[in-house]
Amino acid sequence: MTSKPFKTPAIPRRTVLAGLAAAGATAAMPMRLSAQEQITLRWWSPQSSPEQLAAYQTQIRNFEALHENVKVVFEKTSDEGYAPQLAAAFASGDVPNVVTHLPSFAVSNYWRNGLLAPFNDVIDMIGQDKFYPGANDIYEVDAGTYAGTSIGNSAANVIWLRTDLMEKAGIDKNPRTWDELLDACQKMQGGGIYGAALPYGRNSMTSLIFIGVIHQAGGQVFAPDLSVAIDSPETRDALEFYRAMREFCPPGATNYTWGDSLTAFVAGACATGIYTGRVLTNVAEQNPGIADHITCDLYPTKSVDIEPWTFNDFPSVMIPAQAPNMEATKQFAAFLFDPEGYIQQLHAAPGHVLPVLKSINDDPAYQDNPIIQKYSAEVELMSQAAANGFNLGWESRDHQPNTMAGEIVNSGVIAELVQRVILNDENVDQVLGETTARIEDIMAG
Amino acid sequence: MSATATNTPRLERAYARLGVLLIAPTILVFSLVIVYPLLAAIYLSVFSIYTPTLQGNFVGADNYVKLLTGHEFWNSLGVTLVWTFGTLTLQIVFGVGMALLLHQNIWFRSLARSLVLFPYFLSTVVAVLVWRWLFNDLYGAMNHGLMQLGILDMPLDWLGSMPNAMIGVILVGAWKYFPFVVIAVLARLQTIPEHLYEAARIDGAGPVARFWDVTMPQLRNVLTVIILLRAIWDFKEFDLIYLLTGGGPVTSTQTLSLLVYQEAFGLNRMGQAAAYSVGMMLVMLVFMVLYIRRTGKES
Repeated sequence: MTSKPFKTPAIPRRTVLAGLAAAGATAAMPMRLSAQEQITLRWWSPQSSPEQLAAYQTQIRNFEALHENVKVVFEKTSDEGYAPQLAAAFASGDVPNVVTHLPSFAVSNYWRNGLLAPFNDVIDMIGQDKFYPGANDIYEVDAGTYAGTSIGNSAANVIWLRTDLMEKAGIDKNPRTWDELLDACQKMQGGGIYGAALPYGRNSMTSLIFIGVIHQAGGQVFAPDLSVAIDSPETRDALEFYRAMREFCPPGATNYTWGDSLTAFVAGACATGIYTGRVLTNVAEQNPGIADHITCDLYPTKSVDIEPWTFNDFPSVMIPAQAPNMEATKQFAAFLFDPEGYIQQLHAAPGHVLPVLKSINDDPAYQDNPIIQKYSAEVELMSQAAANGFNLGWESRDHQPNTMAGEIVNSGVIAELVQRVILNDENVDQVLGETTARIEDIMAG
Repeated sequence: MSATATNTPRLERAYARLGVLLIAPTILVFSLVIVYPLLAAIYLSVFSIYTPTLQGNFVGADNYVKLLTGHEFWNSLGVTLVWTFGTLTLQIVFGVGMALLLHQNIWFRSLARSLVLFPYFLSTVVAVLVWRWLFNDLYGAMNHGLMQLGILDMPLDWLGSMPNAMIGVILVGAWKYFPFVVIAVLARLQTIPEHLYEAARIDGAGPVARFWDVTMPQLRNVLTVIILLRAIWDFKEFDLIYLLTGGGPVTSTQTLSLLVYQEAFGLNRMGQAAAYSVGMMLVMLVFMVLYIRRTGKES
């Protein structure tokens, strides 16, 4: 018997096993890659005019070009509707990745309840030094950690004036005090034109504007330690002024929201308005006939001793803590400040959302806009005012952040104060007492 | 004989099992969409809960104590009843009137029957936007028209002051929902035997008498169902009122649905909102029982 000589196998067993393992790994790899390719980031914002949507699409396109495995989907919400939508999202765990343009006090409330991811990484990615000094202070609810950042500033309660009507009425300077404003409204009202477009509705605009009026009287809603301070002589003065202004506002101002108030001025129905710089775009598009006859200024105060108080809702960027794909989410949040897309976003409503990055404000590309150039004085005034602005979540630099400000605005308690005293003519002392009790109840949680 | 006696209970048991099996899907769906939310609402109502996290503490009957002792619930209940009664009455009056008209042999009857359904099919958001534009003080067609006719000197504040705001929402509600009444009543009118009217004519009954003595008795059953359904739907109406007035001025048009919404999402107090919801459900239950008993006695 001839035994066959032992032959070493052409492919050793170890090689075969290694090959099988490699094949298995290779087979698994496309699935991992495939999973990466399917990343979808959801972006919510209540700001969604056609021009803004176009700017968002640019930002999304640019980001997707840099990250081929990421798809970004924009979803609209609204100023009045974001609270329930986000509540449902948080409760269900089906949250968006990035939420922009909500007021800062909403951010601080969500942060305090553990619903947001820290934003320090994103701010570092954008570059701390690019922001205006102190721009992120309002988001430092807990020392050393930021709950979000601003995507822009807004000067929501500047007064808009029709210079042609002022001239016709013999008014040679912008009103600085309430008395001057009342006098100006009286002189300009008539011939189908009302003096002002202040809101008296049961909505957030009335609450937010009237908070500003309280400050313009020298008062405040909360003391710096967040004890309720609304029941004060200053609030009574504010109510008296607001009541006096009622006769210069259209009848339907009792139901005005932001859009109604804006339209009333832009349409030429009111000699003065109160809004952000969105007025500039809307006038240019909808009523260019008055485009050469509008200007803005800080809203008058009770007396010259009282400094103007600008309401800035600090349109924000925040990331829900439950958001999936956190790393990509943070990259996208930071990418929103990339100059090309950010400037287009700011140009979508020039003067409405003002840059929060000093580097952008100084960028010639940002200044290269017909509306910003035409109204450079107004835009500069709004930028300065907004940079020194406050809101109910942060009434002054002495105040602690108020994480319940969102609930107070959403409850309508301040709008109801206005309506009860001015429209229903109820007893001021009683209404202020009840308002204080309600706010204290909300603060108690 | 004995085999039959043995088989019959077995067969009955088999039928019983089949019955249970057949009804099980219905019970399952009913439990998921009715029983579970109901029990969840009752459960939530004894907690103090922050809406976005649904986390909170057990507070027992505190939310119900606030419901009973505070004025918010009772104020909103009153508003809800005024709204429901007002809009339902107009829906029935307009609906029956329009159905009677469309039952006549008029020109373009088919087209008119189609067009009358338009408000009912229109999205509430769109309808409200149109009406807000009509009511607008500065450029609204309503004020403009009335001022052109010399009826008004100055624009009227339709939605921002009382009682105009309540009248406004009631009118818009009636316009939006009266086609439902038209559809149901028109269908019933077409089945009333003609000989009843002939007999009434022979007896000398005029049009009014024929309406009250022939038409209305024939419509009674369908109207009962319509009133019951529309009362339930109107009682819990939310979007139309929220979009038109937001519950204002102050709380003059804040119905129970709006109160629940504000408590749950404005103030993030889901527990208190659930207590209000349970209260709202109990009120509806009381009215439904009373109504069913009354209509049962009448029939």
